[in-house]
Amino acid sequence: MNGVDEELIKKIPGLPIVMTTAEWAINAGRSNSIWTLTFGLRCCAMEMMATGAPKYDWARFGLEVPSASPRRADMMIVAGTVTKKMEPVIIRLYEQMAEPKYVIAMGACAISGGPFIYDSYSVIKGADKIIPVDIYIPGCPPRPEALLDGIIKLQKKIMKQKFRTVKEHK
Amino acid sequence: MIFTEILDKLKAKHEVLESKEDLGVLNAWVSAKKIKEVIGFLKNDMQFGQLSFVTAVDLMAANNIEMVYRLFSYETKSDVVIKVKLDRAKPEIETITSIFSTADWHERETSEMFGVKFLNHPDPNRLLLPDGIDMPLRKDFKCADMTPLPKV
Ligand code: SF4
Repeated sequence: MNGVDEELIKKIPGLPIVMTTAEWAINAGRSNSIWTLTFGLRCCAMEMMATGAPKYDWARFGLEVPSASPRRADMMIVAGTVTKKMEPVIIRLYEQMAEPKYVIAMGACAISGGPFIYDSYSVIKGADKIIPVDIYIPGCPPRPEALLDGIIKLQKKIMKQKFRTVKEHK
Repeated sequence: MIFTEILDKLKAKHEVLESKEDLGVLNAWVSAKKIKEVIGFLKNDMQFGQLSFVTAVDLMAANNIEMVYRLFSYETKSDVVIKVKLDRAKPEIETITSIFSTADWHERETSEMFGVKFLNHPDPNRLLLPDGIDMPLRKDFKCADMTPLPKV
């Protein structure tokens, strides 16, 4: 035990051996160390930045690092309007992310096209038309509290995963 | 400069097909062949040093595409709008990038949005739109996944 007083450890019931399921331990590890892909598409990205900034501070929930590379990211927040020109980029970033990967659709645009659903020649009506989405957060834009709520919901979803059947997107 | 003054000076040198005042700004229609001379004249002889924008309007009923050039003068603090009517079936006009190089991107955007062909343009490629969307700002534009606004 690295530097921890052995007498102290003996006082904690059960230690130094803790029994748990591998499933719980892995899921807890995953859900409390989600790295997000730094990826904003439009005005919703402002609220996403506010959520990451000290006032709301998503690091409290384990989203410590906004990863600048999709290969190190676990979660993609689609924060904004998905346009036809952006579609191949989003698919490519998503496919570069390592499994298991999660997607949050933030805001009306990413859910359904939002304000641009009618008479638009360039907007894709929802991120779920092109990539699988786990959590939808309504609002235009959603407040940082709503994004944090969505993140907590995603953590709960990760905790319910079965070890053998963690979804893999092909 | 008030708009009558600009109009008189312009008329003295170039043919003006039509003109009207709109919110205190002179709108003058000129012919497509003369566009380079008119813009050059406004820049060099009448101190209109800034090209605010270049765009177009689709006048479907009249079967026209109308080019719009808006210029501003820092010296006299006045605006002028030059318009050119083009044939909707085959809209073609000479580029003005040799006079105002800022017109480059404006013309590329107008070209992809309205299908106007700019002759002698230095870089006649798409600016913003991905391949597969053509002339979306024309009134009769259709595309398969476009949901029309419901009438209420
Ligand atoms: S949902 Fe609203 S705030 Fe978010 S990207 Fe769309 S228009 Fe902007």
